[in-house]
Amino acid sequence: MPAIEPSLPVAKTKAVAGHAAKERRAAWVLTAPALTLMVIVLLAPVIIAGLLSFTNYSLGNSGFDWVGTRNYEKLFTRATYEKMFLATLTYVVTVVPVSVGLGLGTALLINSLGRFREIYKTIYFLPVMATLLAMAIAWEFMLHPSIGMVNRTLEMGCGTFLEQIWPFMADGCADRFPVWLGDKRYAIWVICFIGVWQGFGFNMVLYLAGLTSVHRELYHAAEMDGAKSAWERFRLVTWPALGPTTVFVVTITCIRAFQVFDTIEAFWPQGGGPNKSTYVMMFAIFEKGIQQNLIGVGSAITMLFLAFVMFLTLIQRWLVERKVHYK
Amino acid sequence: MKTALSAMALALTATAVVAEDTVTIEFAYPYSHLFDVTYEAMMPAFKEAHPNIDVKFRATYESYEDGTNTILREAVSGNLPDVTMQGLNRQQILVDKGIAKSLEPFIAKETDFAKDGYHDAMLSLSTFGENVHGLPFSVSLPVGYYNMDLLKEAGVETLPTTWDEVIGMCETMKANGIDNPIFWGWNITGNWFMQALMWSQDKAIVENGVVTLDSPEALAAMEQMQKIFTKCEMQNLEWKAALSSFSAGEIGMIFWSTSALGAVERSQGEFELKTGPFPGMDETPKGLPAGGNAAMLTSASDDPKVQEAAWTWLKFITSGEGAAEVAKTTGYMPPNKAANEVILADFYDQNPNKQTAVDQLPLLRDWLAYPGDNGLAITQVIYDGIERIVTGDAADMKELQQDMVEEVADLMPNG
Repeated sequence: MPAIEPSLPVAKTKAVAGHAAKERRAAWVLTAPALTLMVIVLLAPVIIAGLLSFTNYSLGNSGFDWVGTRNYEKLFTRATYEKMFLATLTYVVTVVPVSVGLGLGTALLINSLGRFREIYKTIYFLPVMATLLAMAIAWEFMLHPSIGMVNRTLEMGCGTFLEQIWPFMADGCADRFPVWLGDKRYAIWVICFIGVWQGFGFNMVLYLAGLTSVHRELYHAAEMDGAKSAWERFRLVTWPALGPTTVFVVTITCIRAFQVFDTIEAFWPQGGGPNKSTYVMMFAIFEKGIQQNLIGVGSAITMLFLAFVMFLTLIQRWLVERKVHYK
Repeated sequence: MKTALSAMALALTATAVVAEDTVTIEFAYPYSHLFDVTYEAMMPAFKEAHPNIDVKFRATYESYEDGTNTILREAVSGNLPDVTMQGLNRQQILVDKGIAKSLEPFIAKETDFAKDGYHDAMLSLSTFGENVHGLPFSVSLPVGYYNMDLLKEAGVETLPTTWDEVIGMCETMKANGIDNPIFWGWNITGNWFMQALMWSQDKAIVENGVVTLDSPEALAAMEQMQKIFTKCEMQNLEWKAALSSFSAGEIGMIFWSTSALGAVERSQGEFELKTGPFPGMDETPKGLPAGGNAAMLTSASDDPKVQEAAWTWLKFITSGEGAAEVAKTTGYMPPNKAANEVILADFYDQNPNKQTAVDQLPLLRDWLAYPGDNGLAITQVIYDGIERIVTGDAADMKELQQDMVEEVADLMPNG
């Protein structure tokens, strides 16, 4: 009898171990399709692009040479790429705060409405649903320097009091109104404007969703504690409660801002804007890798792009883990 | 039972025969806004003449650059079309990489090839290393388009022959309240207008595999452009916007390829349109680059039937009635003697605007490609350089020339 006793737990652990191994195997089998897909569709291309960024591969060639970090050196020394970073940063730094701010603002306003909420939501959300490329073509017509709607509308202001109070108007009337898409002073701002116009509706919807999770009681409590003004209530209750939403919205908007491409490709299929003033990263990748077949340089920009987006995502993770959650 | 079986067998073979009889070939071309109408006009006649060939049109290329790239990508991924239309300056790279097939074996089989109107001067545009690799489909030259109503309003009666006269016209028009006198097509594909100014001085932009941007002729070309842009106060318009402005009657004159003539005439507002020869620098141009595209055989199929069908299609669109449609629907010239002299004999009398480019044919020179894998990147460098002149970003042409020479040298093979 005593001889059997110790063997019992052994058998049991064996059985348990066997069971666990089986479960583990089943788990692997079940995740295998997803894993394989992830490797094939996501990881492998990234690794290949990473490797190609150290070569001078050109599409259609049978071979390539390793060129070390020469592609990356080019990125940090050439004037063209300096313009690329400048354009990308200008776009991101402008579009992210403005479209997050507008998104929050409209969400709060819509939330305070009793009636017509749905109508306003739809109006602001429409540009998000429209394809940016198609919208870009519509904008191109509107921004046409002489027969476009924008300049035609501005011309109607000529001869009115606007000319006295607005120097831009006076200049435009005296000479001519800007060639919006052909002038390096305006091009990037036009792109930013369209980016904001197109993107803030999405942020608004996210904030509206965030607002529904703010408990009414918190406002009552804050009011009892002396937060009388709307601003105080916003500062003490709404804004902290929206913390997780804001982190998400900012990250998403940042990544989307880095990805801007459609408008630029539609407006300036060649060259990335007047004097490369709107030569953003995505367009640079497209131009080098796809239009000019220079896969090496294209991959190097892609890797850099990936690094930026990765960095943003990591910041987001870090913020989320630091518990911006209001609990 | 037996009869039923044999009937079925018969039916099967019959369908097999029918299926075998129809050969499908795939085809792609650039610039849908110019050529859609041309192919639409050609198709009924082709269908009638060759009912067993089914031509499948692929998505059009946005530009010549896009066309070349698409083909290069398709060569890597193995789904090349059977016939493709390529810019005359982009044929070289496809020949070098072995994607475009030599047409010599097919030409050898033709008995009256010369009689069909193919002649050496035109074929030379697509001849590489003694072998014909493409059949030119449409050839264009740069011309001036003039809105005669606006010109008369400004008191200009005669068309200019030199750029100085053009600048003079700009100034008169400006003084007479025409805001937007000119659009000069610097942003046309493949640095075509830069090459036009170079050829005007009888200088090739590529000589012995070296880009001649450092030559005095290149500097003269750039200075000429600067003069035109600044003295005429030319707006930096995107070319599609410029063409629509011109069609709407807002711009006095545009310098562009004759190819757009069909499209401009179709969308033209109420004004008298005239074309005139491309002005020269101080004197009439000594040469002008041939624009346009050529049909190339890129079929990867081993099936002789498919190849034969592709050759039939190639020949159809570049000769006879097919080629004549090019002149009728666009501003291009069909590079085919028979089409030009027989079918289109009265056509040019009735369409004097399309005659302008034909008159300039003796000036025809090669539209040159830049050497090496970076050919497209070099095109972009020159484009960016000229853009800096247009936007006024570069004021000193010598300095700009130096910048461009350095950037191009960096992109040259072994550079």
